[in-house]
Amino acid sequence: MASIALKHISKSFGDTQVLKNVDLDIHAGEFLTLVGPSGCGKSTLLRILAGLEAPNDGRIEIGGAHMNAVRASERNLAMVFQSYALYPHLTVAENMMTPLKLRDLTMLERAPVVGPILARKKYHALMGQVEATAKVLKIEELLGRKPGQLSGGQRQRAALGRAMVRKPVAFLMDEPLSNLDAELRVHMRAELVQLHQSLGVTFVYVTHDQAEALTMSDRMAVMRNGHIMQLDTPHLIYTRPDTLEVAKFIGSPQINVFEGEAANGSVRLAGKALSLRVDPALSGPVHIGVRAEHLLIEPAARAAGLSGKVTYQENLGSDVFCHVALMDGKAKMIARMAAGGGKSFEVGDEVNVRFATEHALIFGRDGARLEVESKAKPEPLQRKVA
Amino acid sequence: MTDTTLSAPARTERVTNFRFSATETLKHVCLILGAVIVLLPFYVMLSYSFKSPSEIMTNTGGFFGAQELFRDDYCIKLGNEVADCMVKPWIYNYTTAFSKAPLLRYLMNGVIVTASIFFIQVLVALPCAYALAKLRWRGRETVFSLVLFCLLIPVHAIALPLYIMLAKLGLTNTYAALIVPWTISVFGIFLMRQFFMTVPDDLIDAARMDGMSEFGIIWQVMLPTAIPALLAFAIFSVVAHWNDYFWPRIVITGTRELFTPPLGLREFKGDADGDNFGPMMATATVIVTPLIVAFMLAQRRFIEGITLTGMK
Amino acid sequence: MAGRSVHIWFVAPAITLMCLILLLPILVAAVLSFTDYSLGNTSAEWVGFENYEKVFTRTTYEKMFTATFTYVFVVVPASVGLGLAAALAINSLTRFGDIYKTIYFLPVMAALLAMAIVWEFALHPTVGIVNKTLVKGCGSWLEVWGWYAYQCANGFPLWLTDKNYAIWVVAFIGIWQGFGFNMVLYLAGLTGVPRELYQAAEMDGARSAWERFRLVTWPMLGPTTVFVVTISCIRSFQVFDTVEAFYPQGGGPGKSVFVMMFAIYEKAIQQNLMGIGAAITVIFMSFVMGLTMLQRWLVERRVHYS
Repeated sequence: MASIALKHISKSFGDTQVLKNVDLDIHAGEFLTLVGPSGCGKSTLLRILAGLEAPNDGRIEIGGAHMNAVRASERNLAMVFQSYALYPHLTVAENMMTPLKLRDLTMLERAPVVGPILARKKYHALMGQVEATAKVLKIEELLGRKPGQLSGGQRQRAALGRAMVRKPVAFLMDEPLSNLDAELRVHMRAELVQLHQSLGVTFVYVTHDQAEALTMSDRMAVMRNGHIMQLDTPHLIYTRPDTLEVAKFIGSPQINVFEGEAANGSVRLAGKALSLRVDPALSGPVHIGVRAEHLLIEPAARAAGLSGKVTYQENLGSDVFCHVALMDGKAKMIARMAAGGGKSFEVGDEVNVRFATEHALIFGRDGARLEVESKAKPEPLQRKVA
Repeated sequence: MTDTTLSAPARTERVTNFRFSATETLKHVCLILGAVIVLLPFYVMLSYSFKSPSEIMTNTGGFFGAQELFRDDYCIKLGNEVADCMVKPWIYNYTTAFSKAPLLRYLMNGVIVTASIFFIQVLVALPCAYALAKLRWRGRETVFSLVLFCLLIPVHAIALPLYIMLAKLGLTNTYAALIVPWTISVFGIFLMRQFFMTVPDDLIDAARMDGMSEFGIIWQVMLPTAIPALLAFAIFSVVAHWNDYFWPRIVITGTRELFTPPLGLREFKGDADGDNFGPMMATATVIVTPLIVAFMLAQRRFIEGITLTGMK
Repeated sequence: MAGRSVHIWFVAPAITLMCLILLLPILVAAVLSFTDYSLGNTSAEWVGFENYEKVFTRTTYEKMFTATFTYVFVVVPASVGLGLAAALAINSLTRFGDIYKTIYFLPVMAALLAMAIVWEFALHPTVGIVNKTLVKGCGSWLEVWGWYAYQCANGFPLWLTDKNYAIWVVAFIGIWQGFGFNMVLYLAGLTGVPRELYQAAEMDGARSAWERFRLVTWPMLGPTTVFVVTISCIRSFQVFDTVEAFYPQGGGPGKSVFVMMFAIYEKAIQQNLMGIGAAITVIFMSFVMGLTMLQRWLVERRVHYS
């Protein structure tokens, strides 16, 4: 177990700068996720940490030790790849044994035929380690098979096994679940979290799937265009995003944004003041973000709120996403409603849209979130500064 | 109305069905005719290798010949009894093939030369292909263009200057002369590079994380994953060099110890008279058989290997 | 990561060999083609374009070009056409297709020199199986064919030693040897034609097999054809084994089979006239490389190496 620090990391490939002065502190034993759209630099950051890529600038520390000049294999990290990267010509057991052999045996002992005879005891010990790991992952019966004979989930486990045998200080995972089918993916999420808990080792996990990031991590770093935009717990990222960009990236369906006006400490939407208070010095246009689950849709008869028209309904079984066009189609909102929750609308219905102001997020013109004092129900602010 | 629309498709189907079998028969007739012409020399070769000189001259005896004992004049010349010198034609033909010229030696030379060529080709091409496919370095594109350019050059076409260079180095009439010009297979580099491009980068990164050196990656990760492509290339290379006649003809002059199988056969032909047709055909059979048998056993792989050039 | 220059060790042997074995000889040939160099001589005279002048003016070399181009222009279309025909026929068969494929591929595998010697045998004017079989047909309905009747009366051709037949027989053996290779390439190309296209063509009204061939098969086989034609050309230009086996001296009756590879061999290796040999080499290479470049240009409009 070791803490990891990446300081001022910059990296460019040719003319394109992939990482721009990134700082990241990873606590010992935590499950940290790097999440962002493709091309945001998250994989490059992971590969720099792994030692597979050299940064143009910056410093990598693992357990306080400077690691820039240390080879990938000597950083004592293990990596699980998106394509699993199992050696196709070796059995699962041989795959798992490879890192151990390369670390613990001399060149002569690794030689085919001669090696196993010379160092029979060592081989035995290594096989013991492999078997113990296989037992934890419940893949003992797969040890003799080759990767081509395994299903996707089994390959995933074998790849995990190869990472685990060497007892690394941290696991690096690059989209390890994206090649699995939906059902297995959800199942493996839970398994990985349990594995993390039982091993107690640092996990650094890269994904583009916000659901994975939200469900699995202790903390998640939202990346975009080579920057870390916010590093926080999933809960705080979701409820208190630093910027409108983060708010838009995290959360499905995407957060609804209303264009409002701030003046004299209050925010007005469509001419009406909302029951919340902002910095009185602020004036001008603001963005008002409201999550789908906080949007209320009511029959048009009730006068309060904004009037709109139902354009489309997505029935997901447990929930219904109700798409509403406001201001003659200039703005589109999505509300999440419990299915069969009493209220139901038809496409084309005239409706009123309201939201609970205590859940509204106010973003300034530059996209940064503004501190808000809700008149209705103040919520204690507990934000760690990244 | 309904009737006509219903019956129309039924009728066309019957017609096409009938036509189908007719054209199929016609095709078979043509293909069999072709097969007869293609197989003719193989038939002649095999058949004559079984027959006695007189049967060859008179074209009698069917495929195997009558296999009547005949007198081996050479044996009598050596002073043996006539009764001891009566041999079955096919035994005579094949024993003469092996005894009159050191055919075994030729075959061994063929094996040595083709095996060394393939071995060195792989040794040179694999690392280069790996560097071209999977490493990032300055000048990579230039080197790859060089490879693409060299693909244009058929080695047979530059045989003359190569011969002069080898002669200047005093290397003619050596194994080196047979092997050296073929040690670089630009096609092999190109082929393996194309194959390596399809190997996921993750696999190489995983090997690096496991602590493998770049050199180890080539031989322990890339080589095993490339076995199918390598096998195809092996067949391509072995067939080309086992059967090659032009190059050995140029650089090997006189020294029988270095003759490859085709050269041996050519020499046989040079001093063949009527009596030697049988043994000569036996020699030809012996030379052609290994590849044909291997081809019969692993047809799909062979066709794959030989048509590899199609990937260019 | 470790060892940024590790690639040098990987590419250096290949580049060195490429330069020494492939590029340097081109240079050597180009230089020598302007001299009267011969092995064993310590010095060589610079003769300018004299060698090229000889090659392009003397009747011997005129015969060389005639023989080579006759051979190429006969063998290439015939072996490509037969290869395509065989591939289409085999591909459309419901049964036994694999047997034909195996048989037709056999000549590709067999050492051409050995098979040339066998052919020489089979074509022997008196004891050869070909003429013996042809004689048996005399007096039958086959004599309706004028040529056949004439030969029956006057004896069948000498084939390889007849000036009028020699080049055609050698070309025939070239076709015999090469068309199976083209067939296999075409078969591979045919597997790449999606079945839906034929069904679509049928739906669009292409009812006859010929129409479907013109609409789907032929265009889809375009890249294969370009490749097959090029490789056949290159292989035909390089013909040597058969010629040397039949005519170890002189290039056949009246030099009618004096092909370029044999010319290089005879002039340079046998007669030690390296300058002339080098000049022919240079001309030969420009043909072959020009052809390949043409093929690349044709293909590159479709494919790009990634």
